[in-house]
Amino acid sequence: MQIIEEIKKNELLSNPSEIQKICLDKLKLNPLPNAKNELWRLSNKSKFSSFLDFSHKNKESKASLPYKKNSRNIIRLIIGEHNAINLEEENYSIKELKDSEIINYIKKNICNFDQNDHWSDLLNHCLSSKKNILGLNISGNKIPPIEIFSASSSESLNAKTLILFFEKNCKVDLLQINLGNENSSLSQSTYLCLEANTSVNHGVVSYGKNKSNLLNSLNVIQKAKSEYILGSLHFKFNYARFEIRINQLEGNAKTTIKGIQITKNNDQIATYTNMQFNGPNGILDQINKSLADDKSHAIFEGSIIVPKIAQKTDASQLSRNLLLSKYARIDTKPQLEIIADDVKCKHGATISQLNAEELFYMRSRGLTLAEASKLQLSSYFQEIISCIPVSKDRWDLLDKLLKEN
Amino acid sequence: MVSENLVKDVVSEPYKYGFVTDIETEKISKGLNEDTIRLISAKKEEPEYLLNFRLDAFKKWQKMEEPNWADLGYKDIDYQDIIYYSAPKQKEKISSLNEVDPKLLETFDKLGIPLTEQKKLTNVAVDAVFDSVSIATTFRKELAEHGVIFCSISEAIKDYSDLIEKYLGSVVPANDNYFAALNSAVFSDGSFVYIPKGVICPMDLSSYFRINSGDSGQFERTLIIAEESSSVSYLEGCTAPMFDTNTLHAAVVELIALDDASIKYSTVQNWYAGNEDGIGGIFNFVTKRGKCLGKRSKISWSQVETGSAITWKYPSCLLLGEESVGEFYSVALTNNLQQADTGTKMIHIGPKTKSTIVSKGISAGNSVNSYRGLVKMGSKAVGSRNYSQCDSMLIGDQAAANTFPYIQSQQPNSEIEHEASTCRISEDQLFYLQSRGIEFEEAVSMMVSGFCRDVFNQLPMEFAAEADKLLALKLEGSVG
Amino acid sequence: MQSKTKVLDPILEINNLFASTEDLPILKGVTISINPGEIHAIMGRNGCGKSTLSKIIAGHPSYKITKGEIKFYGQNIQSLEPEERAQSGIFLGFQYPIEIPGVSNLEFLRVATNARRKFLKKEELDTFDFEDLVKEKLDLVKMDSAFLSRSINQGFSGGEKKRNEILQMALLEPKIAILDETDSGLDIDALRIVASGIKKISNKQTGIILITHYQRLLDEIRPDYVHVMSDGQIIKTGESDLALELEKHGYEWTDNFLKNI
Repeated sequence: MQIIEEIKKNELLSNPSEIQKICLDKLKLNPLPNAKNELWRLSNKSKFSSFLDFSHKNKESKASLPYKKNSRNIIRLIIGEHNAINLEEENYSIKELKDSEIINYIKKNICNFDQNDHWSDLLNHCLSSKKNILGLNISGNKIPPIEIFSASSSESLNAKTLILFFEKNCKVDLLQINLGNENSSLSQSTYLCLEANTSVNHGVVSYGKNKSNLLNSLNVIQKAKSEYILGSLHFKFNYARFEIRINQLEGNAKTTIKGIQITKNNDQIATYTNMQFNGPNGILDQINKSLADDKSHAIFEGSIIVPKIAQKTDASQLSRNLLLSKYARIDTKPQLEIIADDVKCKHGATISQLNAEELFYMRSRGLTLAEASKLQLSSYFQEIISCIPVSKDRWDLLDKLLKEN
Repeated sequence: MVSENLVKDVVSEPYKYGFVTDIETEKISKGLNEDTIRLISAKKEEPEYLLNFRLDAFKKWQKMEEPNWADLGYKDIDYQDIIYYSAPKQKEKISSLNEVDPKLLETFDKLGIPLTEQKKLTNVAVDAVFDSVSIATTFRKELAEHGVIFCSISEAIKDYSDLIEKYLGSVVPANDNYFAALNSAVFSDGSFVYIPKGVICPMDLSSYFRINSGDSGQFERTLIIAEESSSVSYLEGCTAPMFDTNTLHAAVVELIALDDASIKYSTVQNWYAGNEDGIGGIFNFVTKRGKCLGKRSKISWSQVETGSAITWKYPSCLLLGEESVGEFYSVALTNNLQQADTGTKMIHIGPKTKSTIVSKGISAGNSVNSYRGLVKMGSKAVGSRNYSQCDSMLIGDQAAANTFPYIQSQQPNSEIEHEASTCRISEDQLFYLQSRGIEFEEAVSMMVSGFCRDVFNQLPMEFAAEADKLLALKLEGSVG
Repeated sequence: MQSKTKVLDPILEINNLFASTEDLPILKGVTISINPGEIHAIMGRNGCGKSTLSKIIAGHPSYKITKGEIKFYGQNIQSLEPEERAQSGIFLGFQYPIEIPGVSNLEFLRVATNARRKFLKKEELDTFDFEDLVKEKLDLVKMDSAFLSRSINQGFSGGEKKRNEILQMALLEPKIAILDETDSGLDIDALRIVASGIKKISNKQTGIILITHYQRLLDEIRPDYVHVMSDGQIIKTGESDLALELEKHGYEWTDNFLKNI
């Protein structure tokens, strides 16, 4: 954990930017998150330290796209590679944010960051250089699907930051792909800001290779009458954390979160979600699924916070988990914190294996155990994956990846 | 319906157990150190092994930190400002109830727990505990005929030391948590129950805990052992006078069930909760745990928690025996500035074990009511199942309801299911009842008691009526 | 009853079958033999072991055969997986067809049909050919093609679930079909649809076992043999008039047979 030592000794960066300086100061006294904190207590210590084992100085990343660049009508950006974009079309515009806008936005956010809650973001801002920060302002409708890639390079730790402002009445499909390379760590922090009346369907697909690590932090702010749909898929990481914080700033908005994490071998993948309603009439529909096989460990912790101001909130959160091996482990903690009285909140959790009666029914019709399990698993995935906005050729890739697994 | 009439009877009563019995007591001076512990042990004429148990626990406690994870807000407790032993002054040896100070008998009379031969409850044996000591245990002779031992734990320490040595601290070790360690060091009295092999206890057993003194803590200790194929139903009730200081109550309850044995443990907790401004009230920090050691053994907790300024309590089951069963049924009601953090732990260790959790939280006023539970399937818990249901009801827009279920599984061939919901009393429902001529507050208590029905059904008869009454009483003035 | 006069090898032979679940004995010596073209009815009270027998034939993993054997075309099938039994032509129509949320009915039917076709060394069907086939079979049970796009049995009424079972039977063209209380929960019209579907699918090469409580299905499909089951055994076998007797006297009447065993 070379990085932590460097932070302590003030040797991490020779010439830190203003933001880097603020974050370094925040981390200097206690560079690591408190292992007893609810958000970190289940985190595997040796895996976590393997995240920090790679150097952040080695080299810049180079994303090798998993498919041909044959698709038209898709806006594709790779953070850290070719950021330059300035589109002014009839129905929409996509413009890069000015440096000052980016700096102000991050500064405004980090001043409230708690060292444990936002450790991933603080580390990200310490490490991510100007080149690796992409900020866009998006407005209009009939916007082509946007795809944004982040990748890490072997033997290094890469930090990437994405900031997207969606102007009023904007409607867009956004797919974010995080690629972990062999023996590497990726720190991805994302900020989405949805103005009133926007509708964003956000897909997050993260997959790694042998010994990839990922810290993926997503901060979403929703203004009134906005709709945010998140479909996420995380798999093939030695260690991955997906932290989602969504704030319905004025209530009156709709949030859908559908996530799945697949763990195999010795992987540990965790999803933490924090849903905050700061106004009335907010809606949340959330399902998180985990699938744990071999000796892996899947974790889900979701909290829903409904203060007094958030009357008539309607929130539902489900945690559905499949434990496929007797050496695997699943922890789940769907929690509610409610003060407003006129609300409808429910949550549920199940941990089980594939339903034996369902399998028998299909086998009695001639499907093999493997086919029946596959059908069941794919229906298990389907509900989540249908929320990820992907075009046909991406879908084939996803399908292939899932089949391999 | 009986309950609705009861509701009506009591709706305007204040905390009616708030009186203080004026009786001469023997107290030791405030403060806690090794000498305090030696003094308590000496006063109780305890054997050496117990003194060592206490001293060992004290050493462990000194090294521990008071837990703060439950997010309960309260002023620091000054453990040196508490009296650790307080007993009503009585004659040296009491041989029969007739020699008990009439004031004490009168106290329990007033609490609805008559102890004298003429008036005692007909089908419940009662162990009455006043501050630090057990005053009387009824029906001892009748129980002894069945081989059932029911006495104060102080007596058991002297008379049944083999059982105590074997089982005390075997379910809740002294270093289990901060308050359990404190209890192990200073526990004063409590109840002891032993049900021999094959015996179905002929009547319900009950302990009644009364805190009288304002500055003494209460640290009782209960131990129940059910041998093979035996069964027992045990009830526990608690009240305290109104003081404007906070009194600490840190009890430990240990249950042990062997093959095919079953223990049902019911609590109606109505310690003084403090006044509307949150002044006074009991801090109720309790460790209750049952060990299903034997095959097909069963431990069932049911609780109605309405009192105390702060409740911190997780009656739990360790399911070791194959096909053993754990149950937890809870109603927790908080009003004004009360805080309750309660729930259960179901630890599935043995194969084919089953557990059920039903928790109903009602929060009114400015109170905070949290369910916190752990369900764990160990790697050997093949074919085990858990079902949990946690419902919260909010009354008024200042109350908070939290649900923190911790769920962990390491056994694919097991099932865990958790459901939770939050609701309030809907205006339509209230209107419907009111339009049939039912008073507003009565309509509310009807709905609340309907909300709690699943749990009340688990309580013994007398307790169910009591529980309904209590809820109505507690909710008074909180709606509208 | 021409089938009785022919001498054929039986499709299914069950010899002195004992079976248990979780160490609890359920079947206590069942013997039954079904020849091509025959329809057998098994009747009996709830809990007599009828459904268990059907599940054991289909290979349900919860039951253990402790003694005896089941032969399909002379081969002991005990070691076969449920899917191998289905592929080779054993069909179980479930009493309570399970709902499988999220799994498409059409996809399921296609995979199952192709598994059977593969076994029969027939060409597997692609999506389009399969849709043609399935639409043809839908008519047999008077089902709407909208059923295909739903999840397996999810949100189906009792009658729809049973018709979906018969549809599967039509697609899989089994050699032997065991229909476990296919008539329960059906109104008279649905019963006729199901019965006529069964009749159209069955032929001289197939055997059918009808498990039922009631006469009314047997009014529609006349069995060659009726077996009365009680406490895990077949206590009486007769021809179709036995079912009528049973209807008249009730199951108490059969208790007398027990004493004679």
